[in-house]
Amino acid sequence: MATQLLTVSDLSAGTEDKPILHGIDLAVGAGECHVLMGPNGAGKSTLGHVIMGDPAYRVTGGRIEFDGADVTELSADKRSLAGIFLSYQAPVEVPGVPLYSFLRSICQMRPELKTTARKFRERVGAIADQLELDQGFLMRELNVGFSGGEKKKIEMLQLLLLQPKLAILDETDSGLDVDALGIVSRGIQAYREQVGGALIVITHNTRILERLEVDRTHVMVHGRMVAEGPAELIADIDKNGFERFEKCEDCGGCPMVGDAE
Amino acid sequence: MAEKDLAPELTLERVNVAPAQTWNRLRTNDITLTVPARGRKGDVYFSLPRLFEGVECGMGREVTDWVESQAADARYIEIPRGEKREEPIVVAVGAGEVADTGVMVRAGAEATIVVAAGAGEKNGEAGTSASLVRIIAEADARVHLHEYVGVGAAQQHLESVGISASRDARVDVHQYLLGGGTVALGFACDLAGERARVDLGCRYHAGGTEILDINEIVRQRGRNTRSELAYNGVLEDAARKGLRTTIDLVHGAKGAQGNEAETVLVLGDDVVNKTLPTILCDEDDVAGNHGATIGSVSPEQLAFLASRGLSRTDAEQLFVRALYEDALMHAPCPEARAVVENDTKGQSLCIIEEA
Repeated sequence: MATQLLTVSDLSAGTEDKPILHGIDLAVGAGECHVLMGPNGAGKSTLGHVIMGDPAYRVTGGRIEFDGADVTELSADKRSLAGIFLSYQAPVEVPGVPLYSFLRSICQMRPELKTTARKFRERVGAIADQLELDQGFLMRELNVGFSGGEKKKIEMLQLLLLQPKLAILDETDSGLDVDALGIVSRGIQAYREQVGGALIVITHNTRILERLEVDRTHVMVHGRMVAEGPAELIADIDKNGFERFEKCEDCGGCPMVGDAE
Repeated sequence: MAEKDLAPELTLERVNVAPAQTWNRLRTNDITLTVPARGRKGDVYFSLPRLFEGVECGMGREVTDWVESQAADARYIEIPRGEKREEPIVVAVGAGEVADTGVMVRAGAEATIVVAAGAGEKNGEAGTSASLVRIIAEADARVHLHEYVGVGAAQQHLESVGISASRDARVDVHQYLLGGGTVALGFACDLAGERARVDLGCRYHAGGTEILDINEIVRQRGRNTRSELAYNGVLEDAARKGLRTTIDLVHGAKGAQGNEAETVLVLGDDVVNKTLPTILCDEDDVAGNHGATIGSVSPEQLAFLASRGLSRTDAEQLFVRALYEDALMHAPCPEARAVVENDTKGQSLCIIEEA
């Protein structure tokens, strides 16, 4: 039994004027791989951002515990330093900041990752090679003018560099061609092997999961967690879709399916 | 001390002027500077060939005359036809120094010119430094100009550049203006020949009570000429910046294209930021665009950077530090690198750490 890393209890959250998440419960053990699935607009990305502490969302109820501490009120930067990582579905462009400067700065914030510039360069270079990313990108402005695939590779570069305890991958596979998907998948696999960190993979596409050993699968519909099950649930959803989960919406209580069934 | 007090001074009224003016009450048309006026009576010194007198310089005739009157021997460099000069031409000016340089890049030749103002200066050093660089790029010539300015808070620096580019000449300009009590920079480029092109990237930072005044003019006279001007800066504390950029699409410059864009990040409540982007057009078959984005770090950027462990303060400092690191990474020679290292203003540069 893995040590509990993330515990989300009865979490409700939303934007200033719109509730999105309703009473979410989620438990992720250290080193576990969880998959979060659901139809468009189910609130999966919102849950990822709320766990990360994105100030665009407001928690209205419940709590988030990470690595034994209550982080519900903690700012995103502190959560990041505590070991939570969110890979953005659409990484933000930051003109004026070269990628190399950014990477060096975020590593300098973490005492465990501080190193000499030469070793840092070697490490970044090795990861870039692993992700088949031209090192010329390091001198370019962060995410500015990068293609969708390049942006996702840059996200993977940060993941492998920061070695977080928990990585939330928000549709990292979206917009990737077959080759790029393979490279990103290998990057995720490398994170699992080298860091042994926990994963929450938000996805619509099962191809990204082919190389991963999934521990649990969760299904969200309309801001509620409606099902939880083993890895086999993914194949079931792949075959039958989300229709049967969406039917739960008007039942008032959204009974758990999957294991519950 | 008394001698210093009595040192003659000259007021350069309304210099660094854009070709097209706006309301005077906006106080963004020009700058007035007080400069030393050392007597040169009896001195014998070398002047540039008269050909350079026809090169328009960004800060204007008055500043050109003043530099010529104050500089020691002018320096003339000629790159022979078809030759690629590997070693950069370095113009290094320290506190109180004035340099007058002329570079002739003959047809098909290539040269790198570096202006480094502020290398090796000591803290608190006062005075006025200046550099005047005039470049004539003949047909098919390639010119790479790097300007690194980082003088002390008690200092004033004037930098005036004039370039004349003939047919198919290519000019790229990399400006890093890293601060100083008062820094005034003027740049003028005359794209006289067909298909001549200038690409200019300017990055600047000003903090404290520093004053930065920039006037840049590109005259596109040749057909199918091209200019790309990009500005990116960070202003902190109570810094004051004025930027005037003018693309002049002259009659007859058919097919010419010019673009100018500025992004400035304002991090201080008392910052004064003035931008005057202008496109002058006297020809039908041309394209000109300009734009300016002024703001703080966006909420989306802050959220993204926070998700990587950077607080708001860390994020804002990242923008400043990135500018210095960019300058350092692209420094073409030790003198340019020394300007950055000398002017980090307490920034903990990741790259410097390794040195």
